[in-house]
Amino acid sequence: MLEKLSHILFSTRLLLPELVFAGVFLIIVAIVAFSKKSHQSHNLYNTITISILITISFVFYVFLSFLEQYFDSGVMLFHNLIYLDKLGIFFKIIITISAIAVILHLWVVGYKVVGEFYAIFLALILGLFVLSMTTHLLMLYIALEMVSICSYIVVAINKSKSNAEAGIKYLLTGATSSAVMLYGISLLYGMTGTLNFGTQEFATFLGQNPQWVGNVAAFMTIGGLLFKLSAAPFHSWTPDVYEATPTPIVAFLSIAPKAGVIIVMIRFLSGLSIDFRLILAIVIVGSLFIGNLSALWQNNTKRLLGYSTIAHAGFMLVGLLALNQFGVQSAIFYVATYMCITLSAFLLVDLLALKTESYELTSLKGLGQENIFLGLSAVVIMIALVGFPPTVGFTGKLLIFTALWESYQDTGNQLLLVVLIISLLNTAISVFYYLKIPYYMIFKDPMGSARRYALDIPKRFFLFIFIFLLVYLFIKPDLVMTMIEML
Amino acid sequence: MNNILLSTLIFLPVIAAALVLLLPNAYKDSFKWISILVSIINLLNIFTLYNTFDRKLTSFQFLEQYEWIRMGLGSLGTLSIDYILGVDGINMPMVLLSGIIFLAGSVASFTIEHRPKAYHALYLLLTGSVIGCFVALDFFLFFIFFEFMLLPMYFLIGIWGGERREYSAIKFFIYTFVGSIFILIVMIGLTMSVSDTFFSQELNTVVHTFDFRLLADFKNYISGSLLSPDNSQDMFGIPARLFAFILLLIGFGIKLPAVPLHTWLPDAHVEAPTPVSVILAGILLKVGAYGFIRIAYGFFPDIAFEYTHIVAGAGVLSIIYGAFNALAQEDLKKMIAYSSVSHMGFVLLGLSSLTAEGVNGAIYQMFGHGILSAMLFLIAGVIYDRTHNRLIENFRGLSSKMPLYTMAVTIGFFGALGLPSLPGFVGEFFTLMGGFQSKVLPDWVPMLATLGLVLSAGYFLWTLQKMFFGKFWVNRNHEHHMKDLDIREIAMLYGLAALAVIFGIFPNLIFDISGETVKLFLDKF
Repeated sequence: MLEKLSHILFSTRLLLPELVFAGVFLIIVAIVAFSKKSHQSHNLYNTITISILITISFVFYVFLSFLEQYFDSGVMLFHNLIYLDKLGIFFKIIITISAIAVILHLWVVGYKVVGEFYAIFLALILGLFVLSMTTHLLMLYIALEMVSICSYIVVAINKSKSNAEAGIKYLLTGATSSAVMLYGISLLYGMTGTLNFGTQEFATFLGQNPQWVGNVAAFMTIGGLLFKLSAAPFHSWTPDVYEATPTPIVAFLSIAPKAGVIIVMIRFLSGLSIDFRLILAIVIVGSLFIGNLSALWQNNTKRLLGYSTIAHAGFMLVGLLALNQFGVQSAIFYVATYMCITLSAFLLVDLLALKTESYELTSLKGLGQENIFLGLSAVVIMIALVGFPPTVGFTGKLLIFTALWESYQDTGNQLLLVVLIISLLNTAISVFYYLKIPYYMIFKDPMGSARRYALDIPKRFFLFIFIFLLVYLFIKPDLVMTMIEML
Repeated sequence: MNNILLSTLIFLPVIAAALVLLLPNAYKDSFKWISILVSIINLLNIFTLYNTFDRKLTSFQFLEQYEWIRMGLGSLGTLSIDYILGVDGINMPMVLLSGIIFLAGSVASFTIEHRPKAYHALYLLLTGSVIGCFVALDFFLFFIFFEFMLLPMYFLIGIWGGERREYSAIKFFIYTFVGSIFILIVMIGLTMSVSDTFFSQELNTVVHTFDFRLLADFKNYISGSLLSPDNSQDMFGIPARLFAFILLLIGFGIKLPAVPLHTWLPDAHVEAPTPVSVILAGILLKVGAYGFIRIAYGFFPDIAFEYTHIVAGAGVLSIIYGAFNALAQEDLKKMIAYSSVSHMGFVLLGLSSLTAEGVNGAIYQMFGHGILSAMLFLIAGVIYDRTHNRLIENFRGLSSKMPLYTMAVTIGFFGALGLPSLPGFVGEFFTLMGGFQSKVLPDWVPMLATLGLVLSAGYFLWTLQKMFFGKFWVNRNHEHHMKDLDIREIAMLYGLAALAVIFGIFPNLIFDISGETVKLFLDKF
């Protein structure tokens, strides 16, 4: 008994940052509940949220080095429910940084969101923290539900009709995939007798079952994850939600839950004792083709980016398909750099919409001529999404393809080569639609009289940081890679 | 030893591009002068390079090497990417050519009135990336420049081009981008198969490298890796090395362009503004040919030796198909574009012969065609500027009103169709001679190629006769627009013509440089 208590105390101490975070969440709830709604209140919320996020990312960063001194790889807390390791902390840092960027985005562009949003936003982040430190199927489910429910609310929080429609769509598809996932979990539990997929017995017992039974159960289990990742065949909510939701929130949804899912996928797939490659390859190929081919026909920038994230979900999984140490590292690198790219893309789209008041592609005509900085930024961001040098998008793609090649060289599995070629082909397809944005901005002449469109300093500075990162990380990818190597 | 001349060639234009972007629009008249000044400085630097280039050495000269990226790849060892620049007999003529063509192009850009700031910034960026592509000795660096040059080119065609500019620009972009993806696969494969033995021992891990010098040497290949020469693993039923070689042929074949991958070229040429056409024909096509020599043949000599007849076949096909198409064209610029396809075929023929004459001839042909095609596109630009029309049938008897122009056209056309003492002759003669002497090609291959010579005489002379002789007449009453060349045009056309004559009479100016390197290159086969 005493032993158990001391274990819980010990675990609690290691989860202190998350607990403090939860405390701030409660404080915000209290402030929202008891304060009067005023026009200035969002400034207060912005300040609180950003300070807690910056603090916690700093704490995590310190934690990263501190953890190594005491535990060599990772440590199980709360009787195997929570697994704390450096990989998880790294992903928590990624999630926190993207949250900071999103709050800055809200602030810089001047969104006025209700106070409740901040509380739910913090809860969403907390869910992602839990998601990135578990190898327990039950915890995984709880964390995922926490993320999902919070996402449904932030999508629908604006109370407009299209928001509500997107929210409902999101909710329905999300609930379905959760159900599928639960069923998959129950199958896995039935087969292995354990809920912890990081353990040896999970692998052993799973391996004793017929190949396809294990595959089906595993596929159903990752269904909920694929839904969050917006990978095929669980992608259908993406474009509608992306179109209807306020842009900063979409920016957050396009990276943070995906990062959380990728780390769970890394853990789940490396513990899987069955050959799961075929299903993963189908998911990848499906996501790539659905994302890229549908994006070709879009006239709305946010929908276009929505389909683009479906395609990028495929690319993130390519690194996992390689299923070796470097494959995992390249996937992490891809996630980390995709964070910069997607956040900047949504920021760009939002800054453009400030002027045009619409997200239609045709409304962008001539904007790049009126503001050369925006035109250049659009080129850099879009070629980063394509994976074109000299941007970090190229480095990320180069690494995942290298990993895939190496894995093919080792195993001689033709499937990997096919996926490699299809993903390269898809890179070429994606050129068509990504270039549409700079094309309309630069090639087309402005509609009506050309007015100069000037950005104020904070907006320009914020966008410039992203552009700088996209190019700088291309020149110095080792900055990120050495960090990933230590995990 | 660690001279920075080559870096200057790349980064001076890039810095100038930034300068142009930062200068306010009030200085818009100065942008073209910045372009010209930078091109002149570059050309002077290249002359220094050319003069101090040691013709006896076979190794790379003016080498610059800096560590760029060292990245751990987990279980795979370390990835090492260096910033390496250098020239040898293969890329030195190309650097010289870029210096000349970019100067001609910047003079030709003088008339650009529409958004000069963006134009000159992109033009300077293009200059830097093309030269970078030629002098880079690290596959990664080469690839970066190779891909990056697409962007300025895309905008230059897409914004300043003709009526169907947007279609041509995206077609150009997609074609070459697909080509570079093929090259990317091979790049990944090669670097994963090669280790830097020296650093591997020092760091006690496998160091994968992109260094051209190491990739070209079989002893650096990791035994059992996919692209190592001793490997027999198949990719889709084709030996892995052959598979990679085919990918390279497609990738560089699109850029070259070799028939049947050439369809982007006529569109791009017709829609591009004159200076961009000049750059495209004069330099960009040579990047493809350079890739063939340095990468496809240089890194895969075993496969290249066995399958060189495929390359020869593509070459001959390009020669004849291009020539027949040129014969059928009514648009002067399109005719010249197809003649480019035809003449670049000789480069492939010469290279595939694997003889000293052939390969030297191919390098010479790249250089000579660069100068002549630049001239030809400037010629087409002259009448387009005056009448906004390029149809051959719209002009007659121009010689009586425009004697200086006619003289330049005559030099250009005769140079291209292969009159002795002009570059076209030297290049075609040596590549054909290589073809006949070759032990790997049957005799009928160069024989077929000579048909291309006859055809090119046909289309050039025909055009000359139709447009320049007879009674003076221009369609749609444009007669009064047909003034003879102004000073700027004289400088461009006669400058290039003088170079054509000099290099045509003294082909040794190029052969001296390439000779030793080619000898070493051929030792591998």
